[in-house]
Amino acid sequence: MISGSAIPDTAQSDPPHEAMEAAAEWYALLRSGEATGGDQARWQSWLAASPDHRRAWGYVETVSRSFAPLQATPDPRRTADNLWAANGRVIRRRRAFAGIAVLAGSGLLGWAGWRHAALPGVVLAGLADHRTGTGELREIVLADGTRVWLGAVTAINEDYRAGLRRLKVVAGEILIDTAPDPARPFVVDTPHGRLRALGTRFTVRLEDGGSTFLAVYQGAVEVQTGAGDAAIVSAGRQLRFAATLGSQETADAAREAWSRGVLVARDIPLEQVVKELRPYRTGHLGVAPEVAGLRVFGSFPLRNTDETLAMLESALPIRIQRTLPWWVSIEAKGEAASR
Amino acid sequence: MRLGDRPVNASDYPFPPSVEILYCDHHDWLHGWLRRRLGNAADASDLAHDAFLRLILKPASRGFDSFGEARAYLRAMAQGMCINLWHRREIEQAWLDTLAARPEEYAPSAEHQAIVLEALHEIGAMLLDLPPKAARAFLMAAACQMTDKEVAEELGVSTRMVRKYVAQAMLCCLRSQARQTLDDLSAGGRA
Repeated sequence: MISGSAIPDTAQSDPPHEAMEAAAEWYALLRSGEATGGDQARWQSWLAASPDHRRAWGYVETVSRSFAPLQATPDPRRTADNLWAANGRVIRRRRAFAGIAVLAGSGLLGWAGWRHAALPGVVLAGLADHRTGTGELREIVLADGTRVWLGAVTAINEDYRAGLRRLKVVAGEILIDTAPDPARPFVVDTPHGRLRALGTRFTVRLEDGGSTFLAVYQGAVEVQTGAGDAAIVSAGRQLRFAATLGSQETADAAREAWSRGVLVARDIPLEQVVKELRPYRTGHLGVAPEVAGLRVFGSFPLRNTDETLAMLESALPIRIQRTLPWWVSIEAKGEAASR
Repeated sequence: MRLGDRPVNASDYPFPPSVEILYCDHHDWLHGWLRRRLGNAADASDLAHDAFLRLILKPASRGFDSFGEARAYLRAMAQGMCINLWHRREIEQAWLDTLAARPEEYAPSAEHQAIVLEALHEIGAMLLDLPPKAARAFLMAAACQMTDKEVAEELGVSTRMVRKYVAQAMLCCLRSQARQTLDDLSAGGRA
């Protein structure tokens, strides 16, 4: 590129190819373990010589910064080797797509769609021992007789060993009815802490905001957060926690009904009903702010959310607006009628 | 309902076509295409949903005026999505393998893990587009902070070659970084 050309030198123009090439070569030399003091000085004067050089070097810094989280893992070599193996599997699979060349991570797609979907839970969930998809409810019985109900879009890992029975919640919500085993404590781990069952029935949910919700219906549960806060939550109580414990409240016993596929609403805002319904529907389900606060009473089928929406529509001053089959919004009745 | 058997390259769409038209014409086909490749309806629904969401959020991406062009675009998009999905799952598995090999007391926080996963995916995607030898040398050099001599011994090539691989890989990354910055800027300019 000719400097002083008609094209204004804004941040939108690329550094010229030669500058990028030189920057890449400087990087390769400076990190090789063989660079001398003289090399350092020459690099400095290269950098000082032109704003293009500095911009190109800025890209070098961005790229090398992206390696920092890997370098900080306890065993970078193993992390890198496993990454390499993963890439090899993808490359072999990519070859199976004959015809059009496809580059992962190319500008066409990116990962915006996945990022908004509560990473890393959504991806970890794909590999979990037990999982449910959208709209799915499942009951499982573990080796010791403990019964676990998985709500929709839920994933858990099971880790039973000699001295410990451990479940790890990766995404979603579970209800647990533990079987007694004096020799082996029963614990549930979430990203926010550990729950130890003291002979019991309780529900554990990972929430979008980055916290764990616990409600105890029978017995008691000991909570220990990652930061070391601890408490005992007894039957009929619930709380939220992340690093620290939230305050204990009276548990809504009706919520437990989700395990039977029923959403029981006793004076809860429409907004919360919608939140509970979302894992049971594919696509977008929105609620207009003017009706979000309407109070809802009743029992609704979780497995048939269209029916639930129809029931809500007949009971409340709302209208179900179906823009596309998977794009549904709940609006005030008057507003929709005036269209 | 529109028909699917029209001539492939006629300009038969208003420009740009509405999402409703695209949805009616292509959703079922796209879902079936994804389901056959992914072998599972839930993932297929999610990706089909994401594909149309993309068309809604980025109207500029609907730059076609015929059924045939729209289908070709969606097919390319769907292929990229499948590869991305597999890649992300493989990266996840790789990270779980890494964690599984660690002693019990190493328990990184969820936030930290999310950061590492993002980095792994970003780097993995960068490496996918590089010649394999350059990619391997670059990964050892940049992620494991090995000297050229160490990398050379490991790969059985000269240090001169390692230097060349690292520079080549970095140059590819710089180009894609520059491209991405431009995309971001122009996307910001439109918004």
